[in-house]
Amino acid sequence: MSLVRNFIEDWSRYRRSINEGGFHEYEHMWGMVIDLDKCTGCNACSVACYAENNLAVVGEEKFESGQGMHWLRVERYWDEPNIGNERVRDTQEHGGSFMPMMCQQCNSATCEPVCPVAAAYHTPDGLNAQIYNRCVGSRYCANNCPYRLRYFNFYSYYEDSWPSPLDMQLNPDITVRDKGVMEKCTFCVQRIRSAKNTAKMENREVADGDFQTACQQTCPTTAIVFGDLLDHDSEVHKLWHKFQTKLGTTKQKKDNPELRGYRLYEQLNTEPSVTYLERVRDV
Amino acid sequence: MSKSEFDRRDFLKVMGVSGVAATVAGCDMPSYITSEEGAEEVIPYLSPEEYVIPGVGVWYASTCLQCPAGCGIRGRVREGRVLKLEGNPTMSLNSGKLCQMGQSALQSHYNPDRLTTPLMRKDGALAEATWEDALALMEEKTGPSSGISGHRFAWYTGSVSGHQNVLLKAHLEAMGSSNHFVHEVINTRVWQAVCKEMLGQSMPTLRIDKAGLVLSFGADFLGTWMSPIQFSAQYAAFRSGDERGMLIQAEPSMSLTGANADLWVAVRPGTEGIMALGLANVLIHKERMDASVLPPETQELIARYNVSITSRITGIAGDRLIRIARHLKNRSPSLVLAGGPAAGHTTGFEAVQAAMMLNILLGNVGETIEANADFAFPQLAALGGGTTDLNRFAHAAGSGQLDALFFDGSNPLFGAPDHMNLNEKFDAIPFKVAFSTFMDETTARADVVLPIASAIEDWGTHVAAYQNEQHEIAFQQPLMEPIHPLTRSFGDLLLALNAMRSPGTYDEIDDYYGYLQSALGAIPGVLKGEDAAEDDPLDIQLWNQILQDGRLEVPAETSLFTTSVSIKDITSPPTDEAFPYYLVPTPRSSLYDGRHANLPWLQEAPDQISKVVWTSWAEIHPVTASKLGLEEGDLIRITSASGVLEVPVYIFKGIHTDVVCVPMGQGHTEYGRYAKGRGVNPLKILDPGEDTRTGELALYGTRVGLAAAGRAGRMVKMGNTESQHGRKIVATITAEQQRRNEGES
Repeated sequence: MSLVRNFIEDWSRYRRSINEGGFHEYEHMWGMVIDLDKCTGCNACSVACYAENNLAVVGEEKFESGQGMHWLRVERYWDEPNIGNERVRDTQEHGGSFMPMMCQQCNSATCEPVCPVAAAYHTPDGLNAQIYNRCVGSRYCANNCPYRLRYFNFYSYYEDSWPSPLDMQLNPDITVRDKGVMEKCTFCVQRIRSAKNTAKMENREVADGDFQTACQQTCPTTAIVFGDLLDHDSEVHKLWHKFQTKLGTTKQKKDNPELRGYRLYEQLNTEPSVTYLERVRDV
Repeated sequence: MSKSEFDRRDFLKVMGVSGVAATVAGCDMPSYITSEEGAEEVIPYLSPEEYVIPGVGVWYASTCLQCPAGCGIRGRVREGRVLKLEGNPTMSLNSGKLCQMGQSALQSHYNPDRLTTPLMRKDGALAEATWEDALALMEEKTGPSSGISGHRFAWYTGSVSGHQNVLLKAHLEAMGSSNHFVHEVINTRVWQAVCKEMLGQSMPTLRIDKAGLVLSFGADFLGTWMSPIQFSAQYAAFRSGDERGMLIQAEPSMSLTGANADLWVAVRPGTEGIMALGLANVLIHKERMDASVLPPETQELIARYNVSITSRITGIAGDRLIRIARHLKNRSPSLVLAGGPAAGHTTGFEAVQAAMMLNILLGNVGETIEANADFAFPQLAALGGGTTDLNRFAHAAGSGQLDALFFDGSNPLFGAPDHMNLNEKFDAIPFKVAFSTFMDETTARADVVLPIASAIEDWGTHVAAYQNEQHEIAFQQPLMEPIHPLTRSFGDLLLALNAMRSPGTYDEIDDYYGYLQSALGAIPGVLKGEDAAEDDPLDIQLWNQILQDGRLEVPAETSLFTTSVSIKDITSPPTDEAFPYYLVPTPRSSLYDGRHANLPWLQEAPDQISKVVWTSWAEIHPVTASKLGLEEGDLIRITSASGVLEVPVYIFKGIHTDVVCVPMGQGHTEYGRYAKGRGVNPLKILDPGEDTRTGELALYGTRVGLAAAGRAGRMVKMGNTESQHGRKIVATITAEQQRRNEGES
């Protein structure tokens, strides 16, 4: 019974609304800034993620059914709506709009409360975590994610995706997920864990720059900045501050409404931990 | 050359200790520590092999060989396996960054379709053989008693540099041949030739980061042009400076760089040079720029291309030309680049010349184009490939001039257009030896196939063709033991071949590793003091340091530019009623020229522009599509004078209405389970034609007819929508707004 009581207590503590200040007893609050003006849409982040996180290659047929396992996908949109006073013309004259999309690690995640077995939960690090061996595959979470960033193992991919000796590349720090399990971006939780362990062994706090996520590390234009939003010396905190994006709101109130920086679909009250900086075009 | 003091095993021991000690801060902690209790399970630090500590990942530096750019990498090695590659932060060329092709080098190494044993042709088919038999046959056919000599022997490779090139040259010399064909479909030879002629040096330093405006005629510097990772870092600085730089891209179909442009301009293929002349005309005659830096003939030529004439030829509106010219003038220093489709015509050289003329007129030379130095050790400098060599090879093979051919790192039978009939010409060469990691189209037709070590299992030194102001030699070292015991290092084989032809010369060298060490020891000041005698011992600490850094800085003495302008008129392609459209076989930073089609990560990585996976597609403009009655996914029939392709269409507005673009890379008939039988190869239907000055194939000069094939094809794409439908997903603001808020003041 104490389990249920704990659960209810923790639950109500956690489910404080944004207006009440939300849940604040975090050790860390991992967050990101992605500068869409620097992002070139090259896709290096996505492949780095495949390499780091044992993502299955599903093949053409399953990809066609929308079963690709790209935890980080680079979306591409063509110009629309118009920019400034310019109308859309008959050529794509301002190029494309690229957006690296990974789990936004929402602090009020729509995927978490619908999980019948609490496999989707929130960590004291502000991460939206998935416990693979608790997951029963109801897929409610994926259905509830407004960003479509959860990926389900409809099949067991081990044999097909990693024929020997490709399996030798698998990262032993994390699992290979099997059929019936939901998975998604973890902000490279294995790297976070490793950095925390190192810091602990050296008797210090985790410092900004101790580690990078795989996507951030490889980004040729350094468009991705990752770090602890609670650490006021961190690059990511400084950027959130500079662009006046804050947690705990469904609509950013900025001194200067033209200032770049927005969270995707924040009006849905999902509290994403990723700030995107607007793409810029000289027209 | 002395025998190396250290054998390889000892070396690994030393590296293990110093490597771990030096990198411990960056390495992973054992995953069995349970931090909740703060307790550690007691697992003895067994060392089953030297330098292996269970659970601890160690990073080793090496060099990426996925494309000729030559970025530095480091690989995370745990329990004897390499698990992840990252850019090497000490390498100035790519400063820790890597593209998706570099990330995927692991899948080339661990690929299930690697060649694992030597093969020899018996009764028409390749059959397993032993190394002894294979080498014996090579000795019989190309050894000193074979009687073969001179130009009847040839090497055929991709771009090479460093000591590999030194040994290749030594072998050719011993054979008495100078036939070294260096083939690279995606190259910058035309740009280099223009720089050499107009600036006096072929690889000047480009400073995108210092430019206020970059105008690029088809040079996909963020994707496949020259050194994309170096340029991406510069691009980031260019975009985030106090005054955000402006990017204008003019090309027939949108490249990755074009997709990032502030202004993307669809230009009729083959008229990029005329656009440059027209811009010069506006700058001189409308914007009153001083043209005295240009010789009178050039000024006269420019005067002929006024706005209306330029506009008629290029298909670009006059007011747009004037606007671009104004931007060029007002946002000095600018930088004008040209490559890819602009250089891929019979008049490619002249087009790139016209672009370079703009740089001279605008005063960019010395500002955003800086003088560089020749590489201090010319024998190690990059030997960059091109398609001229493919043509030369086809001619040599076709006229029976070759008796024996060794090839490595290149797949000419995939890259050659059908009109060259290269398959038959290749088969006619009596003895062909493949040094390969995969059964590609060319390897499949060899007489002897030697399985070589992957880039991740081998030693080497590499010198990138494009160097920063800081020159460096990149070091390649094995990140793990060979997966397949019967594969051999290419360097070791080169030494063996050299020993075969020049007995005695290489007796004191154990292997390629020992050779590299003694060769570097012979360079004064690298591993020994400036005044050291030849037989003085190497400083092993220095050697370890170089391997740990993965690079060696080389002094570079900048030579001055010698500017000369003498440009020629450009004839624009005539209209062709039978083939009214232009074919653009574009490269993408993914499957590249087709060499990465066997890597599942890249096959499943959506194309940057179309987001298509696992197959080929043709890009056309909606206007073209409606004219032909095509919808997305329908098959289009593309007919050139040299062949036919059928491929599903992707329709978007980032392309000229007279152009069809088919990315290269697919259409393999061999090359393993992931590549074989997928999509089409646009290079196959190219028409004959080459740039008249450099001899590079006119890759973008093929005219085609288009028709609906009358049925739907299969094209799998990521995402179901091309538009944001008014939602705020990728929000955009104008540069003016950004300047107001983030500018200097």
